[in-house]
Amino acid sequence: MLNNIAIAAPSVEELAQRLEKMQIDMDNLKKQLANRATKQDIQLVEKKVQKANEWRDSDTLVHMAGYADVGYTDAQSEDGSFNSANFSPIFHFQYRDLVMLEAELEFSTADSGETNVDLEYLTIDWFVNDYMTLVGGKFLSPVGQFRQNLHPSWINKLPSAPPGFGHDGAAPVSETGLQLRGGFPFAGIRTNYAVYVGNGPELVAEFEDGEYELEGIEAEGFGSDRDGEKVYGGRFGILPFAGLEVGFSASTGKATVTSVEDGDDGLLSNEGARDYDVKGADFNWLLGSFNLRGEYVETKVGSSNAGTAASPGAVWETWYTQGSYRFVGSKWEAVARYTDFDSPHLSQDQTQWALGTNYLFTNNFIGKFSYEFNDGLSGNASDDDRFLFQMAYGF
Amino acid sequence: MKILNRKYLLTVGLLGFSIMVLGLGSSVSLASDFPEAGDFVRGSKAWSENCMRCHSMRSPSDLRDDQWVTTVFHMRVRAGLTGQETRDILTFLQASNAPIDNSAGDVEPVSKEKIAQLSGGKIYQRNCMACHGANGKGVLPGMRDFTDKTGRLTKTDAQLLNNIINGFQSPGSSMPMPPRGGNAQLSNDELAAILSYIRQEFSK
Ligand code: HEC
Ligand code: HEC
Repeated sequence: MLNNIAIAAPSVEELAQRLEKMQIDMDNLKKQLANRATKQDIQLVEKKVQKANEWRDSDTLVHMAGYADVGYTDAQSEDGSFNSANFSPIFHFQYRDLVMLEAELEFSTADSGETNVDLEYLTIDWFVNDYMTLVGGKFLSPVGQFRQNLHPSWINKLPSAPPGFGHDGAAPVSETGLQLRGGFPFAGIRTNYAVYVGNGPELVAEFEDGEYELEGIEAEGFGSDRDGEKVYGGRFGILPFAGLEVGFSASTGKATVTSVEDGDDGLLSNEGARDYDVKGADFNWLLGSFNLRGEYVETKVGSSNAGTAASPGAVWETWYTQGSYRFVGSKWEAVARYTDFDSPHLSQDQTQWALGTNYLFTNNFIGKFSYEFNDGLSGNASDDDRFLFQMAYGF
Repeated sequence: MKILNRKYLLTVGLLGFSIMVLGLGSSVSLASDFPEAGDFVRGSKAWSENCMRCHSMRSPSDLRDDQWVTTVFHMRVRAGLTGQETRDILTFLQASNAPIDNSAGDVEPVSKEKIAQLSGGKIYQRNCMACHGANGKGVLPGMRDFTDKTGRLTKTDAQLLNNIINGFQSPGSSMPMPPRGGNAQLSNDELAAILSYIRQEFSK
């Protein structure tokens, strides 16, 4: 035993060597430690990361989206001009998955050079549950697909709205009221719905050849209900398979004449509430690079025997079909649209072929060139062929 | 006056009743993790089936994670999506918006044996089909076709695998291929197995 220890005992030289090695290791360790982050350093970084994450994962989100467009129009009987500088910012405020506020403003330049500001929509959306959202405020009319889904210029594949789908045409534009929207799977098929109650439209009368007649419908989400009668309506959409959607819309209620075109509204008195009925159907079919969609809307206003502007009823009706093709592996797209708009006034009736070529710089920044062959009452704007160019950017 | 009162009561009663009924159907307590995580695979499918119904497909890389939250909720209302579809699509978009990153350099080739062990077809269907389609022809308008004899599959395996892993965008296209198809969990081996499946199926 003793012997063993004596043998194992290192020499002084060896010990000195070991000590030297330990010294070197120690120095290395010190150096490493100096480069290492301390606990405090790590806590500091953690804090910073947490702070940064607050930006990413807050309960309240504020977001801005929207679109803008500029254009040029050259009609047969008019000199070409730059037009429609249009800026539509959308503001979103969201609190978790409970509620969202959506508001879209529209700034546009009028022919006279003034700037117009409109509130396109303003709604508070309450996400009630996975299948229902309650929307209150001024909203785009859920009747059909053009107004609620396609009118923003970066989405619309042509620079113009189809005749009858613009402001005061056959299709309602917006509504002020309450709307319940959502979607649910039904027998393995995707469906969506929107039902609403709102103030409804107002009617415009015209004094011509010694009598009053209905001139137009303003279905633009009035902030008050002058006739006290609500309008009810909605749309139901079915997607039998991915790529195809078919929708049916209707709305019904009462509407009253509240203004006279180029006349004195003060003359109106005791105007009768008229029946107001809208029917519509739309479809959208996507097959590879092809897209075919179409839409029909009919608005019927009943007659009234009461009031200054007592007159028979009238019907507005319009439909369009639009086909587009995105060339494979390129940014070019070709589009064609046919529209037939019938109103109670010959001067407004119009059939139109619109042909266009689009260059998609990106999917939200588009240059559009189009030519419209318009056929209407000769001598009217509705009969003028037009060339249109538009640049649209959705952000 | 009496009639007016009755009408008023009726209206208030009706509105109150509807809000109560809706409130009962709503999830009153807030989920602890907002936005709740959805399912990537279901999300990619729901995205490709819904998000180009109205407008051209917006690229996942267009927006940041938080911007996608408000946008997808906006679209939920517009498109009549269910809450589940919304969460799934959001999960897919937030995973697929990583920028193209070529800094990693070239990827090591994966051995034939490793590829043979993995079923590339299944992984393709779960992760790549939403954009490239079951038939490889591409689901998004204007997208290139894998079955095109002079198309993308004329590139070498190394080039293609690199582009799948790092992400890729060519001059003519309006959307990038997201790194790893948006699913960061897919390993290089699995992606190589998918590529081998793509070659087998679509370049006949
Ligand atoms: C029913 C039609 C429709 C569908 C389906 C749809 N969108 Fe939209 N999307 C719109 C409209 C309309 C706008 C423009 C919003 C506006 O002007 O009010 C828009 C705007 C956007 C924008 C711009 C930012 C914003 O919030 O306005 C993005 C990004 C977008 N959509 C992505 C998507 C995604 C992702 C999906 C799939 C979940 C989708 N869209 C499905 C109609 C649709
Ligand atoms: C979000 C849609 C999307 C998903 C998901 C997706 N891709 Fe792609 N992929 C694209 C697009 C878009 C391109 C074309 C990019 C271009 O040419 O600019 C592409 C291109 C490719 C190419 C050709 C690359 C080249 O060099 O030309 C391959 C290979 C490919 N993808 C494989 C895959 C695989 C494998 C998966 C699943 C793991 C997948 N993709 C998932 C959108 C997608």
